[in-house]
Amino acid sequence: MRPILLQGHERSLTQIKYGDLLFSTAKDHVVCAWYSANGERLGTYNGHQGALWTVDVDPTTTLLATGAADNTIKLWEVRTGRCLKTWDFPTAVKRVEFSEDATLLLGVTEMRMGHLGTVVVFPINVDVDAEQADEPLFTITFRESKATVAAWSYLNKFIITGHEDGTVSQYDGKTGELIQDIQAHEPDMQITDIQMAPDRTYFITASKDKTAKLIETNTLRILKTYQTDTPLNSAAITAKKDFIILGGGQEARDVTTTIARQGKFEARFFHKIFEDEIGRVRGHFGPLNTVACHPQGTGYASGGEDGYVRVHHFDKPYFDFKYEVEKMAKA
Amino acid sequence: EDEFEESFKNKEVVEARKRLLDEWRAWRERCERELERDRKEAGWTPPVAVEGGEETVVE
Repeated sequence: MRPILLQGHERSLTQIKYGDLLFSTAKDHVVCAWYSANGERLGTYNGHQGALWTVDVDPTTTLLATGAADNTIKLWEVRTGRCLKTWDFPTAVKRVEFSEDATLLLGVTEMRMGHLGTVVVFPINVDVDAEQADEPLFTITFRESKATVAAWSYLNKFIITGHEDGTVSQYDGKTGELIQDIQAHEPDMQITDIQMAPDRTYFITASKDKTAKLIETNTLRILKTYQTDTPLNSAAITAKKDFIILGGGQEARDVTTTIARQGKFEARFFHKIFEDEIGRVRGHFGPLNTVACHPQGTGYASGGEDGYVRVHHFDKPYFDFKYEVEKMAKA
Repeated sequence: EDEFEESFKNKEVVEARKRLLDEWRAWRERCERELERDRKEAGWTPPVAVEGGEETVVE
């Protein structure tokens, strides 16, 4: 599993989206697009005036959405790098995500100086020449703990939000009404990532409480817990194999007298069903801020505090790996 | 005796895993059935990705 190193960002990575094209955002104000097969950079998307926090691409790889510390969401044409739309907010945008049919885009805005945290939902027209709506369809406003991340369920039925206080909430995807919430992680331990399974009937959360949880979308029932020894920043579910991949590490300012080697800067593989750790992949020189899996299950990529993206294509032993009970049971 | 205990533990582990795997598969089957029903009701199915290619086919 020899990785391809993507060098082009000058600051720490914040989010990556991995398909045949890989999109990456970092604190250096630039969005990059790469060919994931060979690591060649396809281009950059220039226009943001602040650190980039988040990126998403629609399923047809036509539109790219980004959110940044310059208090904007921008919509881009993937092919040309043209900025199609800019939405302004009072605070930074920490997460964006297209719905599975790409008709909707959600954005999580930060709480700051008299502004409550929100999730905004915009209608999207997947046509690069279409006029995009100026105003959101609806806005969810958080009175208590702000959301740090959010994701769409299957069929846009729910919006799932992960919060600073370790709770996970389920909102109606059409109206934005709160349906239920659960204390999924340790109280006051921030949820740092939510990623949906391919069919969006369950999802994974990562938290500073050093665990990741697999949760059913419909009921918010916790299905599995993955225990690690380090604060987590990101969690991804692999397609094809029943694995999950976790990324994290102690931040430099929290590592006191100890050396970087103890920062635990490794991608950790767990068995999704049995909850066992099955392997680690080293390489980064700082915490892993974001991990992402290829939708076809062919590989994964990680983005680090060190400014690098490492792309790993899975090899045969990875695909052959099976527990005895999995071999015995017919698929 | 130790050997006996060891193999007994292993057997327990294997049986526990088998249970987890069966539970998971039963739950997935239920999920997939419900999802298919919901998708039919909504009149939407996701585009099918072609293995190894960049092209997607929209049904």
